[in-house]
Amino acid sequence: MSRTVFILVSIFLVIPALLAGVMMGAYALGGWLDGVWFPGAHRLTNILVLMLVFVMVLASLLTLAERKWSALMQNRIGPNRADLFGRPVPAGIGHFIADALKMLTKEDFRPAKANTFLYNLGPLLAFAPVFALFAVVPAGPTLEVFGKTVDMVVATPDFGLLFIFAIASLAVYGTSLAGWSSNNKFALLGGVRAASQMISYEVALGLSLVGLMMAFSTVQLPAFVGEALGTGQFRYLWGNDAAMGLRPGFDVGLPAWGIFLQPVAFVLFFAAAFAETKRAPFDMPEGESEIIGYFVEYSGMKFGMFMLSEFMEIVILSGVMVVLFFGGYHLPIGEEWLRGTELMRSYPLLLGAVLGMVFWLKVLTLCYLQLVVRWTFPRFRYDQVQKLGWKMLLPVGLVNVFVTGALVLWDPSLRLLALSGLLVIAVVLALTMAAPGEAPAEAHGEGHGHAHGDTTALPPSHAHATGHAQVHALNAHTAVPQKLETPERTPVAASH
Amino acid sequence: MNAEVVLFYAFAVLALLSAGMVIASRSPINSALSLVATFFFLAGTYVLLLAHTIAVLQVLVYAGAIMVLFLFVIMLLNLTETEGERAKVTFGRVAGALAAVSLFALLALVVMGVKGAPTAMATAELARFGTLAALGQTLYTEWLLPFEAVSLLLLVAIVGAVVVAKARI
Repeated sequence: MSRTVFILVSIFLVIPALLAGVMMGAYALGGWLDGVWFPGAHRLTNILVLMLVFVMVLASLLTLAERKWSALMQNRIGPNRADLFGRPVPAGIGHFIADALKMLTKEDFRPAKANTFLYNLGPLLAFAPVFALFAVVPAGPTLEVFGKTVDMVVATPDFGLLFIFAIASLAVYGTSLAGWSSNNKFALLGGVRAASQMISYEVALGLSLVGLMMAFSTVQLPAFVGEALGTGQFRYLWGNDAAMGLRPGFDVGLPAWGIFLQPVAFVLFFAAAFAETKRAPFDMPEGESEIIGYFVEYSGMKFGMFMLSEFMEIVILSGVMVVLFFGGYHLPIGEEWLRGTELMRSYPLLLGAVLGMVFWLKVLTLCYLQLVVRWTFPRFRYDQVQKLGWKMLLPVGLVNVFVTGALVLWDPSLRLLALSGLLVIAVVLALTMAAPGEAPAEAHGEGHGHAHGDTTALPPSHAHATGHAQVHALNAHTAVPQKLETPERTPVAASH
Repeated sequence: MNAEVVLFYAFAVLALLSAGMVIASRSPINSALSLVATFFFLAGTYVLLLAHTIAVLQVLVYAGAIMVLFLFVIMLLNLTETEGERAKVTFGRVAGALAAVSLFALLALVVMGVKGAPTAMATAELARFGTLAALGQTLYTEWLLPFEAVSLLLLVAIVGAVVVAKARI
């Protein structure tokens, strides 16, 4: 009982308060630096706060969260043994420090026949592009702090999304070079798989967002979010806001978020970007159970950089999805009312803290979703990955572009587009609800539903079915050695 | 000497150096990586020319997609350093060298003839120059026909590649 209370309190009070506090500090720091140095100096503190504090700390905490979450899903307790000076630390947080210490102090092994220069370059080339990605993601509104204009983004190039596509496509150099230079056949296989997977999914990744670019007629991420009321996703498709002529105390309505306008694009983008993060079910380049992966020869912090860049990709992918599909730092309802209140008008720092907290809470929710996906679905086969990319995502993305273009041309207020989007969401939900009756038949054909390419529309019961199939496989696996053990003991013991 | 000139010389020298490395290095992987570096330094010079969009497209298309494909093929075939036999001087090679030199001379003449245009632009015009919006507008209004012709050419190339790769369709 006390444990449940602790978890609930930490989720609903401590985490939001922490996020809001750090964001308020970020705004204050930016405003102060602008005052003492030069206007625009707050971008430097943004680098510090957004990229070093938020992305890095979230990524390293996610390493622990993944272990804990997988334990919860597999009915285990998970890591809980790392103490701090003999005192138990709640939620296994000590393990994140212990892991970091282990990585840093481990021997840095280098295979004798490896290409030294490229072997050392690999982790850097995998880490640096991912690290640079968050630069264009806005994490909070532009505010007047201490008389200075402070925004919460590192860079606002006019080619916005193209920056993300360009830099994300560079990350593959790290993985494929690591695989090649290790002089190990399994590592090479991993590197080659990574390269081919990246090339296939980049096309679908770019194409999936074309509809969204047309709907908002921009490629800049701050413009997607919408700075002023009535722009980007900061407006209602249907609602009682000022545009409707009436101004009640509290504004409600359906916000013009990307997820309502382009649900198909969201599914495509999520699937393609998930493939780019190389996590299960797209973890062919790693595939622990078949080839260990492109980093098989790496140890210590060099391996740690590969792992950390993967977790940073989770945070950054969540951030990009929040900006494009979930309204960025905007509240779904009532933000106009919030901005109008006396308290928020006299203390803009407070508004920055609240909206920044909203952004990071959305990011955390999507990180959680990615962890759930990673521990729910089994790995694709290699040909299934290629088939999904070229034969499902690409054609659906093309059709989405044409349909969106026609609907945007027909009705520039985007209401028609939203209606079609809501219809798609309703159909997907209906299919999801209707499916459980058929699930038992699928239980034996383990996981073939994935080949249909409908990753999010899979019913919960399906996950259940695959779980059962895995349990059966596990039982069969454990049963075999028992049978072998009775007639002849020695060879089995040797194989153990 | 202002920062722009310093940056230009840095990018230019590094681009030439890495381009030289492409043909000088023995290992195919090193050649491919040097080519990636060349593309990056070229993107840097594009930024100095206010062609931001071209710069980011250079990284996206050439460094991010085409060179990854190159690398993929090199890794898949596992090409390693080959002790290349000493090249013989043949008529074809001499003719090729002459053609390359004359092409370079021709290009140099054309480039020398271009007047320095951007300095004459108004600041408002300059701010719009090279942006994604400006590029798209020019591409889809003034140069629509060449643009479509090029895309048709690419389609033909794709179909041709499929026909060549697949004996029986």
